[in-house]
Amino acid sequence: MDNRTQQSADAAQTAGSTSQQANNSPISTQLEETIRAIQARLGNSPDLVVRTYDLINRSARVAAVYMTGITDRGMVEDFISHVMSFQALNDGAMLAVTPEEVHSYIKENALSIGKEKLVKDINGLLEALLSGDTVILINGLGEGVSGSTCGGEVRPVTEAGTQVAIRGSKESFTETISTNIALVRKIIKNPDLWTETMKLGDITHTDITIMYIHGVADEETIKVFKKKLQEIKVDSILESGYIEQIVEDNKYSPFPTLYNTERPDSVAGNLLDGRIAIFVDGTPFVLIAPTTFFMFFHTVEDYYQRYDISSLIRMLRFVCLIISMYGPAIFVAALNFHQEMIPTPLLINLASQREGVPFPAFVEAVMMEITFEIIREAGVRMPSPIGQTVSIIGGLVLGTAAVQAGIVSPAMVIVVSLTGISSFATPAFNMALSIRMLRFVIMGIAAFMGLYGIAIFTIMLIAHLCSLRSLGVPYMIPMGPFVPENLKDTFIRSPISFMKLRKRLQTNTGSTSASPKGASKRKSDER
Amino acid sequence: MNAKGLLRLIAIAVILMPLGGCWNSRELNELAVVSGIGMDLVPETDEYRVTFQLVNPTSTATSASPGSGKPGVVVVSATDKTMFGALRRASKHVTRQLFFAHTQLIVLGESLARSGINDVFDIFERSHELRLNSAILVARGSDAASVMKLLTAVESLPALGLVKKTQNTSRVWGENRTISVFDVIKGITGEGDLTINAVKINGDAEEGKKNSNLEQSETPTKTMMNGLGVFRQGKLLYWMKDSEARGTEWLLDKIEETVINIDSEYKKESIAVNVIYSRTEVRTSMEGGLPVFHVTIAEEGSVNETDSFVDLGNREEILKLERELEKQTRDEVMQAFQKAQELESDIFNFGNELKRKNPQVWATLDKDWGRLFAQGRLDLHIKGYIRSTGMSLKPYIPEGK
Repeated sequence: MDNRTQQSADAAQTAGSTSQQANNSPISTQLEETIRAIQARLGNSPDLVVRTYDLINRSARVAAVYMTGITDRGMVEDFISHVMSFQALNDGAMLAVTPEEVHSYIKENALSIGKEKLVKDINGLLEALLSGDTVILINGLGEGVSGSTCGGEVRPVTEAGTQVAIRGSKESFTETISTNIALVRKIIKNPDLWTETMKLGDITHTDITIMYIHGVADEETIKVFKKKLQEIKVDSILESGYIEQIVEDNKYSPFPTLYNTERPDSVAGNLLDGRIAIFVDGTPFVLIAPTTFFMFFHTVEDYYQRYDISSLIRMLRFVCLIISMYGPAIFVAALNFHQEMIPTPLLINLASQREGVPFPAFVEAVMMEITFEIIREAGVRMPSPIGQTVSIIGGLVLGTAAVQAGIVSPAMVIVVSLTGISSFATPAFNMALSIRMLRFVIMGIAAFMGLYGIAIFTIMLIAHLCSLRSLGVPYMIPMGPFVPENLKDTFIRSPISFMKLRKRLQTNTGSTSASPKGASKRKSDER
Repeated sequence: MNAKGLLRLIAIAVILMPLGGCWNSRELNELAVVSGIGMDLVPETDEYRVTFQLVNPTSTATSASPGSGKPGVVVVSATDKTMFGALRRASKHVTRQLFFAHTQLIVLGESLARSGINDVFDIFERSHELRLNSAILVARGSDAASVMKLLTAVESLPALGLVKKTQNTSRVWGENRTISVFDVIKGITGEGDLTINAVKINGDAEEGKKNSNLEQSETPTKTMMNGLGVFRQGKLLYWMKDSEARGTEWLLDKIEETVINIDSEYKKESIAVNVIYSRTEVRTSMEGGLPVFHVTIAEEGSVNETDSFVDLGNREEILKLERELEKQTRDEVMQAFQKAQELESDIFNFGNELKRKNPQVWATLDKDWGRLFAQGRLDLHIKGYIRSTGMSLKPYIPEGK
């Protein structure tokens, strides 16, 4: 919990200046008045708890204020009991105390549970309250002492739901930012693992933490990125996706330029490669930047399994990328434009299957692809007990029945399902979605212009990919710009002993950022 | 790129795309796939009668539709002065556009072959659809149309069946080789002459068209590979058969595998040697104004059968067999060579070799090559070698049988 209190204290300091709310009055010396003011500002919310105590022969009147639900009950009790111990300690010895004496005692001794801080105005007080602090107000003193008692219901650390690995850590991030940071700290036990915190969202005041390894991550990139974050002006940050979409370099590209993961080991691995992680409170998905195109096809497990298997599986993923992008397009193009390309027995086979199919191949393909997308989307949104059943039955019934009814040809069902399965072989879901979207575009082009169109589109696509940057890092590194050293860990995963240098995220030429200091250093023992 | 620029780009792309207008887009079920083409000459009008064998997709083996049981192909013919005219005229008979990219086989009728084939292949080079690697056959004793119409057992596409037949016999028997349109064009344009595989119909051609022909274990009407047709100046002159045909392939270095029966001490032609490797090298020279063809054949075989006693454990016996193998090969090669000389037809492409070697000399010989070839001398060296005797040495047959 140490970690957590530190966080919120930092956060409060950062956010204090950004607070925009009006009627920011100093805390009144009259306790009753202050409490009334708090209640008024919170709209008499019932989860606000105010406990008042008269201490030392009623000479000091003290109130403890906190919100139930977001505070830890035990910690609140603990906190308050320190105030009580003050009374016990001095029982009988003192007849009266001044508010200042109470205050200094609390400051010096009582708040052993966490770093206390002073709140001087109503806004600061509210902010502390809403962050889960307990605030102690002393009658006659225009100042409150807040101590972190943050808690409430949290989801425990469970197995990763979206990025499953056969081998490797089973931990995944939770919705609590402090837990998430701790999970990474547990992996990288190094003082150079630095974090910086800020609050974003004018209404939500969401905690954002960026994490990097000092000396490995590029200073310039961190600076640029922090500036970008500070410039964000939105009402709410509900998920890391908000940040992702705001800071993206190229908003009109179909390709994601920020990676997200819910695996602490993935974050650790990327930090060691010199990347920055962005934690957002309330979501288990941690953003990683800068990214490269090929990163989306790597998984942490590649490094856990032996290199030969990992290399083959990686290459398989790139094959799947090509299938999921071009599968139906090439099929449609070959069927409509390049019949001479198909081997004769296969052509006759396909021709006999297409006999009696009433639609052109393109319409057939689009129909099946859309059906597939419907089944997929429905399967995701459906309550989990029926979701899977529906998707299986939907697939089987629609596929088989459509073929038997003569609406589609069996070969098309094969192509579409192969494409569908291939798209799930991409480890990063956001990249898989982009590719799936592009698949429809390519299919349309293939229907109009055949392989010629596919070739033109591919050239344009590659040109576009090469133009992308993620936080100033070329997206297609190490292919464009070409970095031979990185090829050891791009399409294949060479044995760990071969990878002596860190992956370079920058090239020496044409980059505005600082020189790649990481590249010359020996990799740390982790990767 | 800003949003406006992007929208513009998308708009331009979307507008431009239909301008291509699906040009050349054809659905598979709007195509009639041509599996074979037969070409005949109509003697009275000097027109080509072109016969197309079209694949009927509904009745191929993979299809489960009610069409099964019907023949796998449909045959239509059209007559015109040009090939292209004929194939467009065929549209009168066919519901779909003919699609030639999968043409497996070209069959030339005997009448066309005799009157000359040099002019008919231009379309194969010029068209992007017709393939140069389609196999080519000459129908012996019939027109090409009857060959096209004949249904074959096992293979649902008769044209494909014939191609496979050619390939199969070329591989293991050696009287034929796979000859494509490209080879023929090369033969026509190059020096010397050419040979084309011959195919013959055994039985009644009319019966062969019917499905009932196939409903028996032995089909009464069938096609058979039948040696080589020898062409001189594009005109069919002679049918080579058996050892002549094989000798030709030997000189052309096209033998992959073949069988030679060798006499034993006790029984004629009782030892079957399977030739598993053969290489022929040709050099040419001029001696006293006449060409000399230095041909070296290196062949390797294995003894696959002995129907009479021969002591294969004895090295001497093996050497004897090797000499015998060389002699048999020499016989066949000489037969082929003599026949070709008789026909004054350089079907072995010796002329090409001479031209490549000595262009200046060739320039003086060019006009009179046929006659000179006929007077040329074959300097033949054969090196036979028996590689193995199979899984046993001595046969179980006792000595003296």
